[in-house]
Amino acid sequence: MAITKWKKENQNDPWTELQTLQNEINDLFNVDRYPSSSGLFDRNVSPAMDVFEDEQAFNISCELPGIEQEEVEISIAANVLTIKGSKNDEKEANSGKYYRRETWSGTFQRTLSLPVSVDINKIEAELKNGILLVTIPKTEEAKPKQISVKVK
Amino acid sequence: MISKHEIEEKKKMRSACCDIFHGEDSVILKLEMPGVPKNNLDIKVDNDRLIITGRKEQRSRSGEYLSREIRQGDFYQEFTLDDTIDKNNIDATVKNGVVTLILSIKESVKPRKIEINAG
Repeated sequence: MAITKWKKENQNDPWTELQTLQNEINDLFNVDRYPSSSGLFDRNVSPAMDVFEDEQAFNISCELPGIEQEEVEISIAANVLTIKGSKNDEKEANSGKYYRRETWSGTFQRTLSLPVSVDINKIEAELKNGILLVTIPKTEEAKPKQISVKVK
Repeated sequence: MISKHEIEEKKKMRSACCDIFHGEDSVILKLEMPGVPKNNLDIKVDNDRLIITGRKEQRSRSGEYLSREIRQGDFYQEFTLDDTIDKNNIDATVKNGVVTLILSIKESVKPRKIEINAG
């Protein structure tokens, strides 16, 4: 590997500020609080997902409010992670009416292709307060290593 | 008077997705607040206002986000309660990030069947 000059992404880029401004303005108009849906024939809800990378692992958080642990299915095939399940709509008593309905129900699915440098045998998942946390550890080779250089 | 700082803080708050169901003897509010633990949830009744605040669990960690779709900000919502709601009888439960509030309707407001005595 050739030695390249270290440069943080977007640093010293004059367009970054404009991009940030544009995102902020777009966000103001983004009043849609429902997750989007995907799929041509089977409409699936795509819950919001954060992917966070640190030195040890990739951490995925997915918003799944009101979903029990048994209702979520996480699978891996050919380095593609799939989170799916269904959110059941609670049947309320028949006598009564809804004034407002903003929550979603039905099947949901998210897929994510993982980089090769992850250890798929050590994936851990936890559902806490309506957020699914999936931790995918990196392989030993992919972790940053500290090498001490002796000065003579 | 609300301070400027307070306004700035309020701006960051957003309302949660909410279902309001009016049943026979209660009004059921269902609010989706993913990422809010039980201890960070604050529900209070101030005269005729029902104020719900939910703070997300803050985690400070080093690294970078590759994708960020979950909206930032804590939850804040106000509802106005009318006279039909029994303010002393509000029941709240939280499970898997969903807050369910059961507001009882006062006995005097409920529909009542009047028996007719044969004269």
